[in-house]
Amino acid sequence: MKTNIAVFFGGRSTEHEISVISANQAMAAMDSDKYNVIPVYITKDGRWYTGSALTDVKNYRNTAELLKQCTQVYMRPVYGDYNLYKAERKMFGSDVLATLDAAIPVLHGSNGEDGIFEGVLETIGIPFAGCATLASANGMDKITMKMILAADGIPVVDYVWFTDKQWFAHRDDLIAKVESKLGYPVIVKPANLGSSVGIGRADNREDLLTKVDDARRYSARIIVEDLVENLQEINCSVLGDCDEYRTSVLEEPIKSGEILSYTDKYMGGTKDNRGMHASKKRIPADLPQAETDRIRFLAGETFRVLSCHGVSRVDMMIDAKTRDIYVNEINTIPGSLSFYLWEAAGLKFNELMDELVRLAFKRKRDQSTKTVSYDSNIFALGGGVKGAKGAKA
Amino acid sequence: MTIAIYIAAALASLFLFTVELRRCLMMYQQNSYRDERYRIWLRESGDTTSGRRLCGLILFFLALSPFCPHTAATVLAGVFALWGGIVMARAKYKKPLVMTMRARRIFVTAYVLSALIAGVAVVALGNNGLLAGLFALCEALLACYCGSHIILMAANRILSPLEKQINRKYYNEAASILASMKDLRIIAITGSYGKTSTKHYLHAMLSQQYETLMTPGNFNTTLGVVRTVREYLKPYHQVFIVEMGAKNVGDIKEICDLVHPWGGIVTAVGPQHLESFKTIDNVQATKFELVDSLPVGGLAVINNDFEKIADRPVDSVPCIRYAVARPDGADYVARDIEYTPTGTRFAVVRVADGKELRLSTRLVGECNISNLTAAVAMAQALGVSDEKIAYAVEEIEQVEHRLSIKRIPGGLTIIDDAYNSNPVGSAMALDVLSAMTQGRRFLLTPGMIELGGEQYDRNRDFGFNAASKCDVAIVVGEYNRNAILEGLKNGGMPEENIYTVASFAEAQQLLMSKSSPGDTVLYENDLPDTFK
Repeated sequence: MKTNIAVFFGGRSTEHEISVISANQAMAAMDSDKYNVIPVYITKDGRWYTGSALTDVKNYRNTAELLKQCTQVYMRPVYGDYNLYKAERKMFGSDVLATLDAAIPVLHGSNGEDGIFEGVLETIGIPFAGCATLASANGMDKITMKMILAADGIPVVDYVWFTDKQWFAHRDDLIAKVESKLGYPVIVKPANLGSSVGIGRADNREDLLTKVDDARRYSARIIVEDLVENLQEINCSVLGDCDEYRTSVLEEPIKSGEILSYTDKYMGGTKDNRGMHASKKRIPADLPQAETDRIRFLAGETFRVLSCHGVSRVDMMIDAKTRDIYVNEINTIPGSLSFYLWEAAGLKFNELMDELVRLAFKRKRDQSTKTVSYDSNIFALGGGVKGAKGAKA
Repeated sequence: MTIAIYIAAALASLFLFTVELRRCLMMYQQNSYRDERYRIWLRESGDTTSGRRLCGLILFFLALSPFCPHTAATVLAGVFALWGGIVMARAKYKKPLVMTMRARRIFVTAYVLSALIAGVAVVALGNNGLLAGLFALCEALLACYCGSHIILMAANRILSPLEKQINRKYYNEAASILASMKDLRIIAITGSYGKTSTKHYLHAMLSQQYETLMTPGNFNTTLGVVRTVREYLKPYHQVFIVEMGAKNVGDIKEICDLVHPWGGIVTAVGPQHLESFKTIDNVQATKFELVDSLPVGGLAVINNDFEKIADRPVDSVPCIRYAVARPDGADYVARDIEYTPTGTRFAVVRVADGKELRLSTRLVGECNISNLTAAVAMAQALGVSDEKIAYAVEEIEQVEHRLSIKRIPGGLTIIDDAYNSNPVGSAMALDVLSAMTQGRRFLLTPGMIELGGEQYDRNRDFGFNAASKCDVAIVVGEYNRNAILEGLKNGGMPEENIYTVASFAEAQQLLMSKSSPGDTVLYENDLPDTFK
C-alpha cells in the first residue's frame, strides 16, 4: 500500500520552465516503494494535466504533443475531497483518477509561490508541504516581508515602496523620498516577482526613472532598496516548520555581472538546462565561523517569523567592507528545492522528500486539534440575529 | 366499489406491514442481529404481546371465523392497518434504523419471504375470485405483521452463510493490509470502563509525534476493527490504537488474533455486561486475553486500582501497573491531585526513579486522572517527550457524555455522564456533583443496566449514595425505579425531593420548572429505545 502524493508544477508564472525542472528532480528522488508519485502539470493557461509522460523533461520541447499523451484533471474546492477528477466525463465508470493523500507544490513565482495555489489546497484541506497562504504571500512580496522582519529586529536594508499609480500621481515626492532616505545607488525591483525579473540598479535620477518604468511593466507594487555595494551574496536553506526547523550549509552564488541575473541563475551550467542546481556556486561558502553561525541563525529566524513550512531558501547579503549582514529575500519554494544544499549538509534528496511528506502530515495533525467552526447555528438559537444595524447604539 | 374497498384494505395492510417490518428491523439492529439478545428483548419489553399485535391477531382470527362476513372483516382490517401504520410511521425513535447494506439485505429477504407467504395464501384461498384473493392477501399481510419478528429472524438465518462469506472476505483483506505494514505500532485498549476515554487521551499524546489512527466511535468489535482497517488505515500511519470491547469470553482474543498488538492497556475489570459474562472472573479472564497475546518485547499497562487486576500476576510481557487510589505495588502513580474551577492539576510519578511529570487538564473526576495516567505511561514508553505529553494533556477537550462539565453563564451547570454508566463511574460522577455547592444539585437518571444478577443491588446502592450527594433526584423510566427509590429513601432523601417520570422528555420539562440559574444537573446514563 503506497501513499499517493501529487506533485504540482508548471503554473502561470515567468518561472514555469524552472518549475518543471525542479519538480522532475524532486519526483525522481522520491522513494517509489513508499509513494505513488502523481505528477500534476499546470499549463501556462491554467489547465491541469497528469500522465507519466510528464516525468521526462525532454517531452516539454513540444507542449502540445506532450499534453496529447496526458489526461486533463481537476480537483473540487470541497473540504475533504482529495480526489483528482478526470476533466472528460465518461458515461460509465468513475471519473475519479486517483484519491490523493498529500500534495507537494513545486511551483515558482506568481500564482504558485505567492499563496494563491496554497489557498486552493487549504480550501480543500489536503495535507501539503510548504508554506501555507500566510507565509507564501508575505514571503513572496518583498515589501511585506521586509516590514515583518524589521518589526522583529531582523536586519534588512532600508527601502521605499509605492504602487505604480502612486508613482504616477506623486512622482516628485517619491523621488525626493528615495534620494533623502536612501541615496544613490539604489536597486529597483517589482515587489512580487522572482528570479531577478524586472530588477535594475539606479545610480542617479535618470536611471531611477528608467528602472521604475521597467519594473512597472511587471508589477503594480514597486520597492526601491538601498544598494549594498561590495556585495557578497550568501544563501541558506531552512527545513521544517516554525516550531522545529534546521538550517543547511551556506552557498555563495557566483555571478557574471553586478547582480545575479536571470541568465546566471538558469542558463548557467551545462547545456541540459539543469536549473538552479547547476548554476555556478561555491558550497560551502567561504566565511569565518562567526559569520556562518550568524547567517544560519538569521535564516532560521526569518523562517520562523514568517511562519514558514517545508523547505525554503533565505538569500542574504553581506557588505564586504562593513561585514554587515542583511536578509535580502526568502524563496518559499526554492529552485531544485535546494536539494544540493541539503546533500552538502548530509541529508540525501530522498530523505529530504520524506521529510517534506512527514511535515505535510504533521501540520494536518496539528491543525485538526483547533476549532474552526462551532456546531451550533446562531440563527437557530432563537432571539434573532440583529447584526450591526439592529444593535442599540 | 367493493373492489375498491378491498384494494384499499390490501394497500393499507401492506403499508402497516412495511412500517412494522422497519420498526422490528430497527430493534433487531439495536440487538446486533443476535437472535438470543433479540428474543430476550422481545420478552422483556413485551413487544410480542403489545396491544397492537394482539388486536392484529384478534382481527386475523375473527376474519377467518365463519360468523364474520368478509367485507366487514376486510374493512376492519383496512382501518386498523391504516391507523396502526400511521401511528407507527409518526413515532420518533432515539436511535433510528440505519439502512446499512446488511440491514437492506435482511429487509429485502424478509419482504421476499412475506411475499411468498402471501402468495401461497392468495393461491390457496383465492381461487374464488378477485375479492377472495384480496381478502386472502389482507389476511396474509396481517399474519405477517403479527409475526414480523419471526420473519426477520428467519431472513437473517437464511442470509447467514452469505454474511459469513462477506465477513470472511473483509477480515482477510484487513489481515493482509495489516501484514503489509510491518512498521505499524499497534496498541490495544480494553477494560470494563474507561476504554474510549483512554483511547482519546493516548491518541492526543501520540499525535504530537506520530501519525496515529484510532478506531472511531464504538467500532470496538472484530467487525469494527476490520472496517477501520479497510476504510481508514493509510500507509503513512505509524501507530494504530485499537479499542477492544467484549461481552463474552474470547471476544478480546478474537480481535488480538487479527491485529497482533504490540502494547496493551487494561483500564478496569469490573461488573459490566454481567448478563453475558455471568461472573467477574470471566470478565478478568477476557480482559487479560489482551495481556496474554502481547509479544515478549511488547508492553502491558494495567490499572492496579482494581483488585481483580492487582491480584493477577503478569510474567509473559513487561508490565507497568498504574494507580491513583491504591499506590502500593504500582509502577506509575498519580499524586498531588488538585481540583480547580477550570479542571484538575496533578503529577504522574514513575516510582522506580521518582521522576515526576506535572500536568494540568480541563477534565474532572478521578477516573479521568486514572485514564490519563495510563496514557502517559504508554506514551512515554513510545518515546513521546514530556513536553509534548504535557502540551497534549492541557489541550484535551472533554469527551461528550463522559463526565464532561459545561458551565453556562447565567444558567445551569451540566455534568453530562450520559454514556453507558457503571457502578464505579456513577459513584465518581456523584462525587463531582456533590462538590457543586453553589446552587441546588439535581440528579437525572434511569439507573444502570446490563448488570445481570447484581442490577437491583447496584442501583439501590447508587440511590443510597446519591441521597447524600444531591438535593433533588429525578428517576426516569421503570427499569430501575424501585431499586433507586429504595436506595434514596434508605439514604435519607426527603420524599418531596424525589420525582419519578416516564421519559427523558418529561424529566427535562420537570428539570426546567424546578431549577434556577446557578444550579447543577448530573445526567447519569442514558438509554436507547430498546429500554423504556
